[in-house]
Amino acid sequence: MSLAIEAKTFRVPRWLKRHETLLAIILLIALFGLGLMNDRFLTLDNLLNQGRLMTEIGLIALPMTFVIITGGIDISVGAIVGLSAIMLGYSWKTFGFPLPLAIVFSLFVGALAGFVNGLIITRVKVPPLIMTIATLALYRGLAEGISQAHSVRGYPEWFYFLGQRSLFGVPAQLLLLLVLIVIAGVALDRTTFGRTLYAIGSNETAARFSALPVDRVKLIVYTLSGLASGLAGWVLVSRVTTTRMDMGSGYELDVIAAVVLGGTSIFGGSGTIWGTVIGLAMIQLLKNGLALTGVKGDATIVVIGVALILSVLIASSLQRRRD
Amino acid sequence: MSATAIASSANSRSGAFRRLAGQELLLAVAIVVLAIVVGLVNPRFLATRNLSDILLGNAYIAIAAVGMSMVIISGNIDISVGALIGVLATISGSLAVAGAPIIVTWLAPLVIGAAVMAAQGAIIAYLRIPAIVVTLGMLSILKGGLISVTGGKWITDLPQNFHLADLSLFGVPMPVIIMVLATVLAALWMRNSPTGRAIYATGGNPEAARLCGVNPQRTVLMVFALHGFFAGLASLVYATQLRVIQSTTPQGLELTIITAAVVGGVSILGGVGTVVGSTLAAILIAEITSALVFVNVSPYWTDALRGGLILATVTADILRRQRRAAQGWKR
Amino acid sequence: MKASLLTTTAAAMFASSFAASVANAAGKWDGADDLPTGPLACDASGGGAPVVAKAYDGGQPTNPPDRAGKEITLVDVPKLIGIGYFNATSKGMQDAAKELGNVKVTTDGPTEAKIDEQIKFIDNYITRGVDGVLFAANDPVAIAPVLKKALSKGIHVVGYDANSTPDAREWFVNQAEFNGIGKGMMDSMAKEIGEDGSFAIVTSTFTTPNQARWIAEMQAYTEKCHPKMQWLETVEAQEDNNLSFNQATTLINKYGDKLKGLFGMTSVATPASAEAVTKAGQCGKIAVVGLATPNAMKPYLKTDCVKSVVLWNPIDLGYAATYVTRAVADGKLKPGATSVDAGKLGKLNVVNGSEILLGPPFIYTKENIDKFDF
Repeated sequence: MSLAIEAKTFRVPRWLKRHETLLAIILLIALFGLGLMNDRFLTLDNLLNQGRLMTEIGLIALPMTFVIITGGIDISVGAIVGLSAIMLGYSWKTFGFPLPLAIVFSLFVGALAGFVNGLIITRVKVPPLIMTIATLALYRGLAEGISQAHSVRGYPEWFYFLGQRSLFGVPAQLLLLLVLIVIAGVALDRTTFGRTLYAIGSNETAARFSALPVDRVKLIVYTLSGLASGLAGWVLVSRVTTTRMDMGSGYELDVIAAVVLGGTSIFGGSGTIWGTVIGLAMIQLLKNGLALTGVKGDATIVVIGVALILSVLIASSLQRRRD
Repeated sequence: MSATAIASSANSRSGAFRRLAGQELLLAVAIVVLAIVVGLVNPRFLATRNLSDILLGNAYIAIAAVGMSMVIISGNIDISVGALIGVLATISGSLAVAGAPIIVTWLAPLVIGAAVMAAQGAIIAYLRIPAIVVTLGMLSILKGGLISVTGGKWITDLPQNFHLADLSLFGVPMPVIIMVLATVLAALWMRNSPTGRAIYATGGNPEAARLCGVNPQRTVLMVFALHGFFAGLASLVYATQLRVIQSTTPQGLELTIITAAVVGGVSILGGVGTVVGSTLAAILIAEITSALVFVNVSPYWTDALRGGLILATVTADILRRQRRAAQGWKR
Repeated sequence: MKASLLTTTAAAMFASSFAASVANAAGKWDGADDLPTGPLACDASGGGAPVVAKAYDGGQPTNPPDRAGKEITLVDVPKLIGIGYFNATSKGMQDAAKELGNVKVTTDGPTEAKIDEQIKFIDNYITRGVDGVLFAANDPVAIAPVLKKALSKGIHVVGYDANSTPDAREWFVNQAEFNGIGKGMMDSMAKEIGEDGSFAIVTSTFTTPNQARWIAEMQAYTEKCHPKMQWLETVEAQEDNNLSFNQATTLINKYGDKLKGLFGMTSVATPASAEAVTKAGQCGKIAVVGLATPNAMKPYLKTDCVKSVVLWNPIDLGYAATYVTRAVADGKLKPGATSVDAGKLGKLNVVNGSEILLGPPFIYTKENIDKFDF
């Protein structure tokens, strides 16, 4: 008898109703539609190329997911990209570091910038938005001041491998991103660290009272955010063969768009790496697909804006209906 | 909401105003002290002409910051305001060039600004989409739409009587009058009217606000509509100051406006802050920008110093509040 | 503990940036690209640059299909869209396309002068498969990889206004040599404010390649030919009208009577500087010289606030670039050529290996300004 009842009631599996899945379905529909309109869009060559171009934003979007899950935000990531890019070139050319050391140094600078953010956010309790708005200006300004508007060029051939070449047919930086996506996803989903992030985001006071190392974890995520920005800076310099102090400007909005589109709540407490990846892919492929179909830059920006609002609208209303 | 925030909003009625008088006082003192210090290095800084130029050139930022403060106090944020100001300026200018009556060209940005923002407010309040998402999307739509429609063409050949910002009343230039009026009226409204106070409540603790009979959705809608009105006012001053209207959205404007609001003491957690603070902060930031040129700071370092000064102001404010909170509330 | 941590950090940041700033004040301008300056002769012997015989140093497309006589689709990706200057170059391209009859040009680009965005635009058009790319680069080195990718796919690449590294494009249509512009600007200013006048410069950013180069050439030329002129200061104002206006006003207030002239280095900075001078009531007392598009400058030329606008004709620039691309696609313009036929502009010379010179600068004055509408 119970078997008959079970057979009658059809239950939509829970994973199908998640925000990320709905988004993935929207993404597939969009891809299909764009692919129909344009025969150059769904080629392996183009898709891999898009993967290459979205790596910088993707790298930063991973720790940004962590940051937003804890209820914080980091608007200074673009400026950190610029600062570490400048420091890469500057330490190589002016300090005379051997290039590998210069690269490590630039990553260190990025991490340090993120660390300062995290330190003042956790110790002095400046709200993350305010702190990172201020460091956005400060770090960009430091990039300008240190570089004195000079670019550093003329890197050895091996340096360009990360940004421009491929390994096993896949763009090198994309491989890097894929590896880090897996690591980030596992960290968020399977480790205590990940669970602490959700706890902090859902209820920071309760987390503190539960003796979770709230400040230390927050410090870690902001440092990671800075480190990822430094990494993105390295990839960018390798891709465009030069350093500029205005590198990375505007990245913060692209990163945040990818993260919130992927279902991470801006209020903290929920979100997944998988969602961020879908959000990232969606924005990149939408921009690319539209451009290939002949939509000009200005109209593409409008469509992206509408798509952003609509997707979040659709996904959240579908979610609410199932409740 | 964290325990401290709940406590602070409970105290908001009596403690907040006393506490915030501290932030506004800090800003006013900073403005005066900076002027004196720079004046010592280069006395030309203190010339009336220069001080009034600083005010006139940046009044539109202060006006927009008034609306932005309200949005932030209500617990939301808006990053589309810079693009909206660009769009409204273009609409106003196009109407003027097309021969519309001047009063229409002046009123259009106010009405359209309020309408566009109200639409965003409705989506945020009733459809429960976070403000950052809606305004991020709207930013794109406005930015792209502006170029699409205008084709990137600038507006020149504006009729002479279009330039509202060139007029003065009793010897005081219009931008300053508008800035002062906007600040004073908004401040009075927020302090004394029930809807104004509802904004604080909605930002501080929406649940408690609802239990007290405040309608958070309607409040947010109202806040955004007002914010749009002030953005329209700002775009009016922005458009009528110069003879050319660019058809691109001013770069980085929303960040400057948000900075003015938060340096002015508006807490991003919502529920705390005043519009007077944000106006003073906007003036201070403009003053710093000018001061750095007067003091001969190497142009490569001006942005770094400005960022550093903003950071210092903000952290000083946070520390001051913490010290006050640690001392406890003495009635 | 917190307060002292904070104050120490803040104090350290200030001390270091302030020290660095003062130490670096009024440094030497070197175009930020490590290239040498080459100031021209001081006399009026030539407004243009000497024609240098150099071997062709441009890049070539790999196995381009035969496009001779066939219709070609070109894309124009300027530094940014939405400013008068690039609206004008775009118009010139449309004019040329109409005249030629078998060329289609689309102008598409970022709304802000960002090299990363520009690269993505070009990349998308490469995927779409265009016959030629016209560009004005936000950064000469950063744009090279994507341009070389275009060349490798058999797409023709021609630059205008702002160059890339030579091997990334086939030809570059140059409005004027950097040192020619330096000379033109400084001579105009010297004529208006005298040999011992002092001036300041409003530019976009210090990393905009053309502007940085022009300023470097201006400094070198001033040292050589107008040694008594005093260069007060240079300020940045992005490509923003209001910002440029505020910066110019700040300069006027800072220097007072000492400031005799203002240079505007972009089509945004010049009208804004003229407006600042007008508002300050200093028309006639402070000269404004610079790069600008006619429409924005009309009111100031009419009031004699600005005497002349030294420039080239951007419409002609876009026009020439289109003709050059057509000639390249038809196989009529090959490496080693010394001149190219550019429609109504006549024959343009090839200089510096792979650059095509537009011609002498064009001067807009009160008398001829009404003939232009861009």
